[in-house]
Amino acid sequence: MAIFKKKEIAKNEFDQVIVGTSLTKEAWKRLKKNRLAVVGGVIVIIYAIIALCADLLPIYPYDEAITVHRNLRPSLTKTAGDLMLEQEMKNMFFQAWRQGRLELSDQEDAQIEAWVKASKTNDVWDLVYARGMEAIEDGSFEWNSSEQSRIDRMLNQIATETQITVNRVSVQYEGQTRNIEAMDYEELRDLYASLLGVETDVLEESLYNEVRSSVGNEVRANDSTLSGDDLEAAIDMEMNALGEAGIHDRASTNVIGYIEQLALRGANSDVQALIDSGSIELPYEGTFDLSNGLHVELEVSLMHQRRYICGTDYLGRDLLSRIIYGSQISIAIGIVGTVTSIFIGILVGALAGYLGGKVDYYLMRFVDIMYGLPYMLLVIICMAIFGRNIINLFFALALVSWLTIARMVRGQIMSLKNQEYVEAARSMGASTMHIIFRHMIPNSLSIIIVYSTIRIPAFIMQESFLSFLGLGVQAPYASWGSLIGDAVSSMALYPYKLIIPSIVMVVFLFSMNFFGDGLRDAFDPQSKNQL
Amino acid sequence: MTKYIIKRLIGMIPTLFIIVTLSFFIVRIAPGGPFDGERALPEAVKRNIEAKYHMDETLLMQYGRYMFDVVRGDLGPSYKYKDYDVNTLIGVSLPNSIVLGSFAMVVALIFGISLGTLAAVKQNTILDYFPMILASFGLSIPLFVFAPLLQQIFCMWLGWFPTTGWFMNNNAPLRTAVLPTIALSFAYYADIARLTRSSMVETLRSDYIRTARAKGMKNSTIVFKHAMKGAMLPVVSYLGPAFAGILTGSIVVEQVFLVPGLGKFFVQSSFNRDYTLIVGVVIVYSAILIIMNFIVDIVYAFLDPRISYK
Amino acid sequence: MSSFKDKEILLEVKDLRTYFKTDNGILKAVDGVSFVVHEGETVGLVGESGCGKSVTNLSIMRLVPSPPGKIVGGEVIYRGTDIMKLSEKELRGIRGNKISMIFQDPMTSLNPYLRISTQMIETIRLHQDMTKAQARERAITMLKLVGIPSAETRIDCYPHQFSGGMRQRVMIAMALSCNADLLIADEPTTALDVTIQAQILELIKKISAELKTAVILITHDLGVVAGMCDKVCVMYAGRIVESALTDELYSNPAHPYTRGLIASVPKMDGNREERLFSIEGQPPNVIDLPPCCPFHPRCDRTCEVCRHAYPPVKQIGEDHYVACWLNCSEEERQEAMNGGDK
Repeated sequence: MAIFKKKEIAKNEFDQVIVGTSLTKEAWKRLKKNRLAVVGGVIVIIYAIIALCADLLPIYPYDEAITVHRNLRPSLTKTAGDLMLEQEMKNMFFQAWRQGRLELSDQEDAQIEAWVKASKTNDVWDLVYARGMEAIEDGSFEWNSSEQSRIDRMLNQIATETQITVNRVSVQYEGQTRNIEAMDYEELRDLYASLLGVETDVLEESLYNEVRSSVGNEVRANDSTLSGDDLEAAIDMEMNALGEAGIHDRASTNVIGYIEQLALRGANSDVQALIDSGSIELPYEGTFDLSNGLHVELEVSLMHQRRYICGTDYLGRDLLSRIIYGSQISIAIGIVGTVTSIFIGILVGALAGYLGGKVDYYLMRFVDIMYGLPYMLLVIICMAIFGRNIINLFFALALVSWLTIARMVRGQIMSLKNQEYVEAARSMGASTMHIIFRHMIPNSLSIIIVYSTIRIPAFIMQESFLSFLGLGVQAPYASWGSLIGDAVSSMALYPYKLIIPSIVMVVFLFSMNFFGDGLRDAFDPQSKNQL
Repeated sequence: MTKYIIKRLIGMIPTLFIIVTLSFFIVRIAPGGPFDGERALPEAVKRNIEAKYHMDETLLMQYGRYMFDVVRGDLGPSYKYKDYDVNTLIGVSLPNSIVLGSFAMVVALIFGISLGTLAAVKQNTILDYFPMILASFGLSIPLFVFAPLLQQIFCMWLGWFPTTGWFMNNNAPLRTAVLPTIALSFAYYADIARLTRSSMVETLRSDYIRTARAKGMKNSTIVFKHAMKGAMLPVVSYLGPAFAGILTGSIVVEQVFLVPGLGKFFVQSSFNRDYTLIVGVVIVYSAILIIMNFIVDIVYAFLDPRISYK
Repeated sequence: MSSFKDKEILLEVKDLRTYFKTDNGILKAVDGVSFVVHEGETVGLVGESGCGKSVTNLSIMRLVPSPPGKIVGGEVIYRGTDIMKLSEKELRGIRGNKISMIFQDPMTSLNPYLRISTQMIETIRLHQDMTKAQARERAITMLKLVGIPSAETRIDCYPHQFSGGMRQRVMIAMALSCNADLLIADEPTTALDVTIQAQILELIKKISAELKTAVILITHDLGVVAGMCDKVCVMYAGRIVESALTDELYSNPAHPYTRGLIASVPKMDGNREERLFSIEGQPPNVIDLPPCCPFHPRCDRTCEVCRHAYPPVKQIGEDHYVACWLNCSEEERQEAMNGGDK
């Protein structure tokens, strides 16, 4: 019954404990001692969990834009309604100050003038709001009637306006219940045509034109100097670059939006009736079967009761939600890209290292030349020309980032090649492929994994760099880079939009770097001299 | 040595050739030519334009013509900025980029090497921790976060520097160069400092440094005369990739601080599909990079007498 | 052989202790080493790898890398001054000038990035008031003395342009270029070919005689010691277990370890059928060593007391000292056993 048998401790003649030293065990011991690395690892895991569970978290949809909630500052305590009212009052106080109704000290007047000149709008607003509220308290200031009615209207709006969010629309299609998000372009087109009762061809044409006009808007936004033929030419080029698949993608997104709106309109009267009858409590979730065969799941909530703890962006989308979904994309690209580049790198490196000779020479020459290329520039060109979507981004990055891994694997394999156990395997008639993949790669795997961990931050930085330039992830999706890129133009007015995603990204990169460094120091203590 | 230099010079040609070819074909096989959409034009006019830009010839002939022009130093006309050729556009903006890049490199080298060495010599003291903590910030904060943050803090909040502008244009003061330089050099300071520290620590542990100690030499002499040369080798070989990084990084810095450099043209021409301009900018960037790599190799060979020049 | 007794004492090491801090505990690399070097004398320091002979000599020059190493006790008295108490600056005046060292691996001990001339001239000018030209002249003389052909031109070469033996010659020339009193040679021939080894040893012997330099020769090869040294110290696990004049040691080894070492030198005239003698087992790990004779598991004459206490050092002849219980009286052993029980 020796279930709890003590592990036998080996001792030598001097009563000294003989410790078996497994390399991995030693490495883990070293890693655990490195506190920074452990903290880094924990933070990375927390990020990964949050990003993975984004769909389950109680956050607003990342692409739901509520126009009246544009550019709200982050607040833990105040609801969107409070913030809207506050902003409105700030504006009105400022107007009142301009009109001379709100009186401040001369010093403050001069201060405000100076701020206005330096376009420090936030400072001005904060000051007039604070003074204005004090003035209302002690009765030295009163709203005039039009202002008061504006405030009343707003209060009413805040108290009653509801937001109906479509969670899911499904339909009986060819005998099955299908979620419309999971349908492909043709199915969606046919469904929508039948819902509207129009010819498929007509619908197709108008869908195409919609995509074209939205592309046109993007082109104009990028280069406002274009007009006439030049503009048409530029739009044609963009359309060509999108290709049929790209156009269908965008059209599908549009159609899904239309069908959701249709469903919303269909259910609206029922929902309104429910709300008016007062029989439901908000927020309310419910499902409705519509006469046109759509089956819609809705969520009804008081729109202005929302809390945006990270604020909102220029379209009124929740920044917290965008950051979390952005993390999902950034981390996924970092990991998937690294895995792809490792795969290519291992393949090339192992072949070059094991086969040697001419194969090695040409492969390594190729790698050398690729090293000499300004590859970020090539990635930018590829993104600009072959279309800016996540798949292209990810391919362009993976294609240029396997070089270092290939070199490393080659070096490892070269040194392993001459070891006895490989000789032994060969002498027993094992094939080249067998030796490479069964004996050599497993033996260099730990180092490869460690170095790939170090590569992930670099990959994320590259992706974010492209997204920052507007060449990476496209709306409505977000990544850390695109969030920061969007914020730069308005950072004087809304610094939180820049600072919050920056902190989120930097904390992750920090943790990842510390964790990676810790792993490397633990598993490969000799190689401290490398970057 | 001369032979080695000549050999390396000749070795630069194929790389440059591959870059030109690669970018030419990537750009040409891309969907949508620059004049495809000008359907409002009568057929004859369109053909005239195409003939003007030699678009009516076969791809191979276009390639040959382009290569010939490039060898002569002519990068062709811009498709989008009509009335300008690529040479002019690059000629106007390149000096700004080069000055910015060199400032950043020099700052990164000075601070990276001196603080890295200090950290190695004063291991596990405040003089070690401080530069290394700074370096790990530099490693983890991407340039496109750092540059706007600098602007936010020093321009908006503290008001120490003008938000934008560039000292080489419009008589702007020299301090307009300070923030762009700091932003661009920070990441490379981080890498150089870390590299210098670790390689200096390793060198200081080596046998020949022990010999120098046994000879009774002063610590400072040991560090600067005996250890520096060997410790600088990894730093020197890092400079090649660093230059590449500074080139791409300058695109961001130029955008954030509105420096009228080459980066702006690069991003814009990518959006506009201004093919000749894209290829032109890539060629110029690559040429700078290749020349820098060449210089790095020569410096390396000078530092390490064991390199054979054969 | 006792002629050195009359000479002045050049260096006296007294109870030197150097410990290293490691992850697993404190490593007592040198744990109470004492010996004396007279002027012009050649002392051999013999032992297996890891027994602390190199650390002893690095400690004499205070060159032990710190951290992790630390000299925790003892005195090293050079001509009446304790090196352990000198300031960094005073110490530099002794290093390379009065006491100089040559190291095991000539491949890595010369700075590969500097010319031989630079390295030699800087050493000479560091300690002697000479112009550059004079120093260069001196360096060339020294190189000629150690047998570097065409020294005038070779002096401007880089270390990688020399062979291993030549580099060791350069090291010797550099070490002796300031007329040091004491040369510490740390396994100077281990990294060299056998044929070169003899040349280098011969060179050290010749030059030390010529310049009247005392030598501490660290080696694991008893054969080398026999030909070179006036006195031998045998080290085991951080302590000196036996020291004696060379002839005395060979003819009359008292410690079982010394006997084993002597027996394991292959003899050319021996019976070829006979197996080569070797000492069974491994030297102990010197972290947290319990009080005992560290050699007892490998000793063929071990007894109870060996497992309980370290033997005291006994003088058993003129200049012959040994630390082994075999040379102790029964009472002493009994006392140690009782002491150990307390």
